[in-house]
Amino acid sequence: MDREAKLARLLEHPAIWRGRSAAHPQGLPSGFAALDAYLPGHGWPRTGLIEILVSRFGSGELDLLLPALATLTRARCARWCVWVAPPLMPFAPALASQGIVLDRVAVVGGARPLWALEQALGSGACDVALGWARPVKAREIRRLQLAAERGRTLGVLFRPRRAAREATAAVLRLSLQPMATGVRITLLKGRGALRGAVDLSRPGWPV
Amino acid sequence: MRPHVLRAAPDKAGQSALPADAGRVQPRAAPPSITGRHAAGGRAGELWAGLHLPGINPQKLQQLAVCAQRFTPRVSLAPPDGLLLEVQGSLHLFAGVAGLRCALGSECLRLQVQPVLAFAPAALAALVAARAGKPLTVMDPAQLIGQLAPLPLASLRWPPDTLARLARMGVRTIGAALRLPRAGFARRVGREQLAMLDVLTGRMPEARVTFHARERFRRRRELDCELENHALLLAALAPLFADLGAFLRARQCGVVELECRLTHRHVPTTRCVVRLAAPATDVHRLAGLLGERLSALDLPEPARACELRADALVPYLPGSNALWQPGEHGGSAGNEACGLIERLCARLGSEAVHGLTGLPAHRPENAWAPTEPPPAAGRHGAHPGCSAQTPAAGRRPLWLLPAPQPLSVRDGLPRRRGPLRLVSEPERIETGWWDGGEISRDYYTAVDLHGIRLWVFRERAAPHRWFLHGVFG
Repeated sequence: MDREAKLARLLEHPAIWRGRSAAHPQGLPSGFAALDAYLPGHGWPRTGLIEILVSRFGSGELDLLLPALATLTRARCARWCVWVAPPLMPFAPALASQGIVLDRVAVVGGARPLWALEQALGSGACDVALGWARPVKAREIRRLQLAAERGRTLGVLFRPRRAAREATAAVLRLSLQPMATGVRITLLKGRGALRGAVDLSRPGWPV
Repeated sequence: MRPHVLRAAPDKAGQSALPADAGRVQPRAAPPSITGRHAAGGRAGELWAGLHLPGINPQKLQQLAVCAQRFTPRVSLAPPDGLLLEVQGSLHLFAGVAGLRCALGSECLRLQVQPVLAFAPAALAALVAARAGKPLTVMDPAQLIGQLAPLPLASLRWPPDTLARLARMGVRTIGAALRLPRAGFARRVGREQLAMLDVLTGRMPEARVTFHARERFRRRRELDCELENHALLLAALAPLFADLGAFLRARQCGVVELECRLTHRHVPTTRCVVRLAAPATDVHRLAGLLGERLSALDLPEPARACELRADALVPYLPGSNALWQPGEHGGSAGNEACGLIERLCARLGSEAVHGLTGLPAHRPENAWAPTEPPPAAGRHGAHPGCSAQTPAAGRRPLWLLPAPQPLSVRDGLPRRRGPLRLVSEPERIETGWWDGGEISRDYYTAVDLHGIRLWVFRERAAPHRWFLHGVFG
């Protein structure tokens, strides 16, 4: 206890700079307090690309984003929420019951998902763009990240777990694993984010 | 083309009819006068030129209407053989009625039609006088009825049996018809005819549709050499785009659809259409969109000539730009959203972008529908009650399969890459008997070996098959 207090005092020294203490713009609350505590800016970044790695489609990756999507689409002067090349059709009644304003949702199908995602991110017309393109090269991730910064848009790219070995230019990369009572989130990369894993659960998730 | 309907404002007519007395309260909207309180004659300060052009064909009538717009912006067609111009404001520009008569006559001569031209304060009066072959010039509304009185009723073009009935009563001229008692006339001849007489004498205002010339842009360019590369084609189209820009600027119009036609040596012409989400005047943007379309296009042969067509012009009102960037302090993203839709549609096809809406139906397949892409500007602070539309139901999956997928069964339980564990109470959906799409299913939430939650159902009818219908997030 004594040692911890000493360490804390030492770390308060102005000459010591820590990654976590860098100023982060206020993030978008994710709806999960435990996750917010881990994320820089206490929430999802409002601008930039996030990678979510899942071993299988439907592991709970969308459930993780729903509270944030609901917040974004209900905001005043909300921009669009674009879904680029989703593997299945998002079910409108379920989205609406989760508080997402369907009026703000657009689905883009067809070929060239990466091009469409880059356009959506860079246009400035969207608050958030979700993409399911694969496979994606590191260089393409960099382009998407730059486009997201240009358009002040949050981009979310869902990728398979094996992509964890590749380098990425995304602001945040996390992997997601379904658990018995919820999901386990492992933060793989984040600017100033703590490393480690967070277990999340939600009412309605399986027991 | 948007028809522009001119309506006589009743208060104006009222003011013109009654001299403005200081200190006396004027009845502002006097009812149009059955009592005849209004002076006869048209709206104050109107003078209509009516042209009767016997035997003119519709194309020539349109042409003449376009030419007549040189004299006044208020040109109105009276098909099949009439044309009306409101010329009060133009008299001083064309040396009065005589000068105008002369100028209109030479315009008709150029199109090789022989007009009868009459001037009157009411549009219908001018037309009727011209039809009767009387080149009247009535400047004073008070003289209108007197001048119209000797004209035959036939020039009003009422139904022949009505005219015959009136002729049997000895009523052959407009003057005779006007002398008849109004109530009796309305009962015996018809209310429409009475209203027409009121319009004729200027007692009642007439709504006339102003003619707008249908304008379109068509420019063609023969290429010096045959081109196939889309970038070079776009460069060859540049002068045409410059023309289009000048054309649109001059008319304060925008286009919502642009067509590019490429002519080949042997194969039929290639058409390439760009549709826009909002009227556009910026030719650079149009050129960029056309470039997207051309790059996605597979030309069967090199092009020998290119043509740019914009048929439907829409009035363009430039909006004001926002102070904030979109996404910054709640700046909205109207223009950006239109631009994004256009780019996506130009490259991926118009059906590639759609919105979503929930429908009030119990069958999961019918509970949603694709819609037009969402509007650019969000509702400010309002939360539409989307969830209120859907009937109260259990938890729904975020993903729905396009069609239920059959599952294999072992020991009465469904399997999908291993056995599925049912983790919820069944939810029965039994509906649709009225339209042939009857379903009777028990829905469960199931978890597979990897922890993925699925929405499965069991048919209630034998053979009780299991299906996968959705995936939770």
